[in-house]
Amino acid sequence: MNLQLDEYSHLDSPLHRWEPRCRLIALVALMFAFSFVRDLRLLPAMLVVTATIYAVSRLPLSFLLARLRAPGFFFLMVAVLLPFLSGRTVLLRIGPLALREEGCLALLLIAVKFVSILTTGIVLFGTVPFVITIKAMRGLGLPTILTDMTLFSYRYIHEIGDDLETMETAMGLRGFRGRHPGSLGVLASLAGSILVRSYEQSERVYKAMILRGYGNRPTRPADDFQTLPGDVVALSAVLLIAAGFIAAEIILRQCGG
Amino acid sequence: MHIPDGILPAAVCLGGYATTGAATWYSLRKINQQENPREGIPKASLLTAAFFVASWIHIPVPPTSVHLVLNGLLGAVLGYYAFPAILIGLFFQAVMFQHGGLTTLGVNAAMMGLPALVAYHLFRLRRALGKDSRAWTGLFGFLAGAGGLGISVLISLALLITTIPAHLDVETERASIYAMSLAHVPLMALEGVFTALVVLFLQRVKPELLEGGSPLSPFPPTLGGQGGG
Repeated sequence: MNLQLDEYSHLDSPLHRWEPRCRLIALVALMFAFSFVRDLRLLPAMLVVTATIYAVSRLPLSFLLARLRAPGFFFLMVAVLLPFLSGRTVLLRIGPLALREEGCLALLLIAVKFVSILTTGIVLFGTVPFVITIKAMRGLGLPTILTDMTLFSYRYIHEIGDDLETMETAMGLRGFRGRHPGSLGVLASLAGSILVRSYEQSERVYKAMILRGYGNRPTRPADDFQTLPGDVVALSAVLLIAAGFIAAEIILRQCGG
Repeated sequence: MHIPDGILPAAVCLGGYATTGAATWYSLRKINQQENPREGIPKASLLTAAFFVASWIHIPVPPTSVHLVLNGLLGAVLGYYAFPAILIGLFFQAVMFQHGGLTTLGVNAAMMGLPALVAYHLFRLRRALGKDSRAWTGLFGFLAGAGGLGISVLISLALLITTIPAHLDVETERASIYAMSLAHVPLMALEGVFTALVVLFLQRVKPELLEGGSPLSPFPPTLGGQGGG
């Protein structure tokens, strides 16, 4: 299982060099501005902005495509249902099914917003090591308990994932196939074992951390980020674009009734 | 069950973040009431990672297999840490696998996390009622698991049906709510049975994981001198 979300964080691009806190604020604001849009006329602009950001980030296209493939099922369900269930204007009849205009337009809106927001998010987390993004969140005031827990969990997910794989292989070698409902008890023990093992490991980790002085820091360390004028200019520019989308949406909504 | 980006209107996304913010604040406040709040962090973090991994286990439901949500179990084991744990787990799922989304993270976390807190209190009821035997623990585990998923399903269906389709008529709406709720009843039962089995396993193998329904107590082997480890 590929958990690598920052495999291209070593590349060099303006987005890679952008100060992490500024980038976080800018791109998150942009994602929310996208989610605010409901007018179809803004969709081309949204796609252009998204494509520009992705091009500037220099992330390979294959990276994006691999990630867009994953969230399929839920989206597919909506895609299949909406054009047939929602709306009154029938475009096309296929037997008992009627393809409806409102549903198709709703689907188009959802699809474009989905791709744009997701792509922006992929740029946000793909252009810098994950740990730095979390540090940026802490720098912006996210509670320490949350950031600490995020970093710890991230650190151990891979290890515990490997544990699960080893245990599943061991079960397979002993003849466990897990294809009938009666195997539920065995699988529950497997999940329980994962919990117990990580719990026991956490005790050792905690002791090791105490020995290294964890929890004795009276305050947060000084910010390790340095904001340059260029970072602020880029932040303002993206915030302006985000505000532009929201303003355009409000104006169009008022004009269109 | 995870609502992706682009489907919900921005107001609902922001409302989700507001709800999640409030619930996280409340959970962190409860956590900070301990003597040394940092002590529970490694334990809760590793268990967060473990739950994340455990949700990858395929559960056979012939002719296919499903993944469980496990939010009821999370509540029963982690107590007030369950909410931040779910928030973090969903955050990972959004950035690693693009399941769910970043703008809908607030909505999804509230949808899964609030039922987990309900499940925690449900599971703790067995102590309050003095029913500590294996049978009762199993029963309350079942209630926590099935209830946790059930409440999540209701919240998500209500959200989806009321916000997505522009022009669905009332009849279709009501019919689809009933149909989709009914479709989730077997999954609730499965989640409940699985949670009960895991809880019973933990009670047999590592009862301290279920103590007080949360890992808030300090480490018994070092501080309580109970040996083991």
